[in-house]
Order: sequence, then structure tokens, then C-alpha cells
Amino acid sequence: MPLFEIRDLVTAFHTTDGRVPAVDGVSLSIDRGRTLGLVGESGCGKSVTAMSILRLVAAPGRIETGSILLDSPAGPVDLVTLPDSDLRRVRGGRIGMIFQEPMTSLNPVFTVGDQIAEAVLLHRACSRGAARARALEMLRLVRLADPEQRLDEYPHQLSGGMRQRVMIAMALACEPDLVVADEPTTALDVTIQAQILDLLGDLRRRLGTAILLITHDLGVVAETCDEVAVMYAGRIVERAPADVLFARPLHPYTIGLLAARPDPDAAGRAPLRTIPGMVPAPQRFPVGCRFHPRCGHARAAATPEGPACEAPAPELLEVEPGHFVRCHYAERLGEPHPAAVEVRFA
Amino acid sequence: MTTSIQPALVRVDGLQVHFPIRRGLLRRQVGAVRAVDGVSFRIDRGRTLGLVGESGCGKTTVGRSILRLIEPTAGRVEVAGRDVTAVKAAELRALRRRMQIVFQDPYGSLNPRMTVRSILEEGLLIHRLGDAADRLRRMQAALDRTGMPAAALDRYPHEFSGGQRQRIAIARALVLEPEFVALDEPISALDVSIQAQVLNLLVELRDRLGLTYLFISHDLAAVEYVADEVAVMYLGRIVEQAAAGELRRAPLHPYTVALFSAVPTVDPRRRRRRVLLPGDVPSPARPPGGCRFHPRCPLAEQACRELDPPATQIDRHVVHCHVAARLLAESGGDARRAAERLAAAVAAADGGGVG
Repeated sequence: MPLFEIRDLVTAFHTTDGRVPAVDGVSLSIDRGRTLGLVGESGCGKSVTAMSILRLVAAPGRIETGSILLDSPAGPVDLVTLPDSDLRRVRGGRIGMIFQEPMTSLNPVFTVGDQIAEAVLLHRACSRGAARARALEMLRLVRLADPEQRLDEYPHQLSGGMRQRVMIAMALACEPDLVVADEPTTALDVTIQAQILDLLGDLRRRLGTAILLITHDLGVVAETCDEVAVMYAGRIVERAPADVLFARPLHPYTIGLLAARPDPDAAGRAPLRTIPGMVPAPQRFPVGCRFHPRCGHARAAATPEGPACEAPAPELLEVEPGHFVRCHYAERLGEPHPAAVEVRFA
Repeated sequence: MTTSIQPALVRVDGLQVHFPIRRGLLRRQVGAVRAVDGVSFRIDRGRTLGLVGESGCGKTTVGRSILRLIEPTAGRVEVAGRDVTAVKAAELRALRRRMQIVFQDPYGSLNPRMTVRSILEEGLLIHRLGDAADRLRRMQAALDRTGMPAAALDRYPHEFSGGQRQRIAIARALVLEPEFVALDEPISALDVSIQAQVLNLLVELRDRLGLTYLFISHDLAAVEYVADEVAVMYLGRIVEQAAAGELRRAPLHPYTVALFSAVPTVDPRRRRRRVLLPGDVPSPARPPGGCRFHPRCPLAEQACRELDPPATQIDRHVVHCHVAARLLAESGGDARRAAERLAAAVAAADGGGVG
């Protein structure tokens, strides 16, 4: 089996508004040493998926169904049903996490060195001195300037880029098999983002760590990921190897996202392609295909080629090897959206 | 910096904004954060200047100083021929009707306890514009222009999505019928699918109403789409300025080269060899001597450490860089050739870059 696999995950929040299924039947898998990009806009469920992996979803949220399998020497373990004491060994051990805002995920009253050493001590039988030595080694690995000095500094003494390096050092300190990185560069400037992405890619090559990269930035995905899954309204709507997805996007939502960005090479200043309407809130996910109210190709009634988009809900189907799409008409949309031609480079 | 017969609507000359750093019991000033340290530009009527740079470069402070929401330390800001930095309170108020601002965060910039009606009406009341019926007509027109229904008037900001709130913020700026609008990261807080809607709206409004924009953003593609000219800021200074497409095609400052190369793109044809700058942006409280970019610059030479580079101008393309100035001189003033040689030099110097 792959290193890591999520099967039919449903994570819902039980609020006064009723049951809100933020993640509604997500399946994905990652092989050893590979990077999967999970992209989508705010509220699509990508971060709740990440939090579900380590059972960090807070009440009133709850994993309702599905399994989250991590391959182990003794066979796959299901993180959904794993006892808490065992799960704690996985968190920060076999699975590391990097969050968007390093300032809120680092403890302000402990030094950088102590925080990395703590992670090591929790997962390895070693002395304080050895843990501190490991912390220093990790700071060197993430190419932090003056690592000996930084070891005894507090998070507020570091810049945003340096804090994110510390987060990465902490996530990798116990040589995890998988790192879940939730918007790791979103809070950073673009030149610092370039440094961090370069660092992540380099570490992955050297350590063989698999990465689940969660982001809203398609450019970041295109430049760092082997595979991409696009999420919309709690579901994965398209999944493919990165080069295939960007060369031949098939779901109207993916096509719309790619076309909405200004294209510097476009002649003149034609209005940008937009996706009408707005991202639906999880309380009000539409029935049938969840994208249909915003989709230019939506069919109101059944046609000889397929059913109406309002119902039934489309399945995630494999349309070519490794390329999955959740759309009744994905391959029958005829000519691609004119703007989509711009992003196709096959 | 540019010449035209028509007087510029906005003219900024030698703008400096220094924030004092106070320490100790007596709150003595021990230094200053030089957020903006000698910035000059002009924007002609109906044109858009894009201001790009990373956080802390001073771009937001420039925008706010033009409206005098922040008092400049030195320099001159002229809007429609009036010196904003020198006018008295009453005249400043009158001038503010002609210049408006839209902020980044539509969640923070609209008072949650005010209805959209009171948010839009506030400016009209302050400027004593029209009677009740006339004010209503103006508010409805402003909402209509931004694609919002008139029914929005009696609702509260929390009832709207991020994109709709930003439309309301734009309507608030437009209701006074200004000539100049500073747009401070107007799309950064929005989802990708909503960003395109708001960009289209901003361009359409500018073209229909003849507005003049200062478009402040860290999003290079969005800036190039909206702006006629783009200025790149680094540590309180403009380091390069050129026509929007020209800046991307022929960047002459090593920082601009690095900035464009760092933007991730989905299109492999446009993917550039990424230039990785070492380290972080230095603190604006202690800007480096000489060229402020020299500690991170792959091409820094002795002169860069010692001398503040003066402006070199080829047509409407202005750059502050010793190396670019020399390459321009050697290429006989051909900006494209100089840019090619600069890019090659940056690539050669930056051995650690990734492909």
C-alpha cells in the first residue's frame, strides 16, 4: 500500500445551525518520498482535512466516518481509531506538521533550541545533551544563519522566514515519513517563500520525506508537487499528476481557477475570466454537483450525454490513467474554455 | 520623472516618513524607522501607478501619506495642484473628498456596528453633500457601480462575503466622486476566484469614471494587469520604475530580477531560473549604507557598499543601481540589452539557485 492513504473521510461540525460537513468524503494517497498538493479556496475543507489527519479537529468538529491509514512495518494503522497514547507517538514522530503562522505555533516563552529538543525527547530515548545537539543539527540543516546563537533565542527575536525554518526543523527533527504542511509560505514574502520552497524540496530529496502540501496557490503547487488534488466544497473535484493537471485541466472549477489569474502575455487588457458567484459556505453546500450554480457548463436537465448537474452528484471518475474528475460532462465540454487555452501548453 | 504637457494629478517629491523609536523612562528618541526615505513619483490623470514590494518596504506608508493619514516627516505631496502636507485642516478635509482609499482587509475596514447605509453616508454628511434624497441617490449609484444591490443599504458588513465587503469599501470610496483612489492591497485578502471579479471591477470603474489610481500590492501579475507604470520599492526607496510590461520583460535592478523570478507560476514556459536572495530584508531602523540592497545583492561591488546609487534613466525606465548604470552605458542606452546582460550576471553570480 502507499505510505499514507485517506479513505472516504467525513469530518463534520455539529453547531447550532445543524451538522456542517466541512470534509465530505475525501480520499487521497501519498507514496513514500512524494509530494501531494491539496489546493482550494477558503472553506473548501483543505485545512480541516489536514487537522483530521492528526485528530487535531476541535469540538464541535468530529471525524464521523472514513479511515486514515499510515503504513507501518506491522501493517497499516488507522489513525482514526488509534488509541491516544499511540497517536501521540505518531504526532511529531512519524508525521510532522508545519502550520501557516509560525508565530502562533511556536511557544513564545521557550527558546528555539528547547522547543526542538522537546520534540526529540518525546520521541527518542536520549539525553538532554543529545537532544540539544540534534536541535543544533536541525537548525544547520534548515540553513538558519548563526545556528549556535539562534538555539538560545526566543521566537520573537526571529523574522517570519527564520521562524518558518524553525518550524520545519522541528517537524523534521524525528525524521518523519510524512510532513503535513498547511499553507507553509502564505504568511511570507515572495523572496522568502522562494527560500522556504527551495529548502523543502531539498530536504525532501535528501531525507525522502513525503509531503502533503496544503495551499491556495496553484503556482506553488505547480512548482513543488508531484500530484495535485483540487478541493471544492468539501470534496476533491479533480486529481492528477501535476504536469497532467496543469496541461489538461478537465473540471470546470480547475479551469476557472487557472484562467482567473492575469496572464502577462495576453494581448491587450481583456477583462479577466471570472468564476461567477462565491464559494458556498459548508452550511449551504448545493445538492448534486456542488459547483453547478457557478458553472458555465451546468446542464439544467438530463441530456442524451448525461444527467442534470443539479442531481445526481457526480462521482470522482478516472478519465485517463491517474487523472480523476468529478464532473458529469468533464470530457464532453467540447472546446475548452477559451481562456483555458492560455494555460494549456501541451 | 516623466514628462507630459498635462500637469500630474498626484506628484510626490522626496517623501520621507520616519517613525521615532523611543526608549527609557523619559521616552527619549533613540532612533527612527525610516519607513519611507526619499520617494518621488507622479501619476497623470486617468493613469495608474503600481507600487510593489515586500512587507516593510514602505509601500503602504506611501499610500497613507498621500492622503495624510500619516504625517510625512519631509517632502512634498501634491494632489490636484494643492500641497497636501501644507494645507490647513479645513482645506485638507475639502481635499480628502477628491482622494479616497480602499484598504486591504474588508473585515477590518468596515465598522461592524454600522449599516452599509451609515458607512456610505458618513462621508456625504461630513462633506455636507446634498439633502437626504440626493444622498440616497448617490449611495444607490455607488452601490450599483460596484455591482451591489440597493437592498444592501440596510444590512451589516457581517452579512456579506469578503468579495462583497470589498465592493462596499470601494462604493464608500466612490460615493464622494473622488478623482484619486489609493488601493492598498485591495485583493490580497480575497479568494482567487473573487480576486478576478474585483480586479475587473476596478479597471472598469477607472476607465468609465476617469479615475486615477495608486495600486499598492505585492502581487506582481495583478499590478501589471491594472497599472500603466510600476515602481518597485525596497527598504523605503523606489529602486526601479518602468512601464508595466517593460519592467517584467527588461528588469534592470537585481532586486526586481529576483522578485519576478521568485513568483511561482503554473506555466513552465514562463518559469524563470529562481534567484534566491540570501537572508532577510534588513530593519528600516538601520538601513545599510551605500545601496540598501547590497547585503543581499548577488552583484554587489565595492561602489555598492559605499555610494548610494543615483537614478539612471532611459526613456521612462528609471533604475537606482551602479551595475545597471554601467551596463546601460556599455550597451549604448539599450535597456533590453542591458537587462539581458544583467540577468546573465545575476544567474552566474547566484550559483546556488534552483532551475
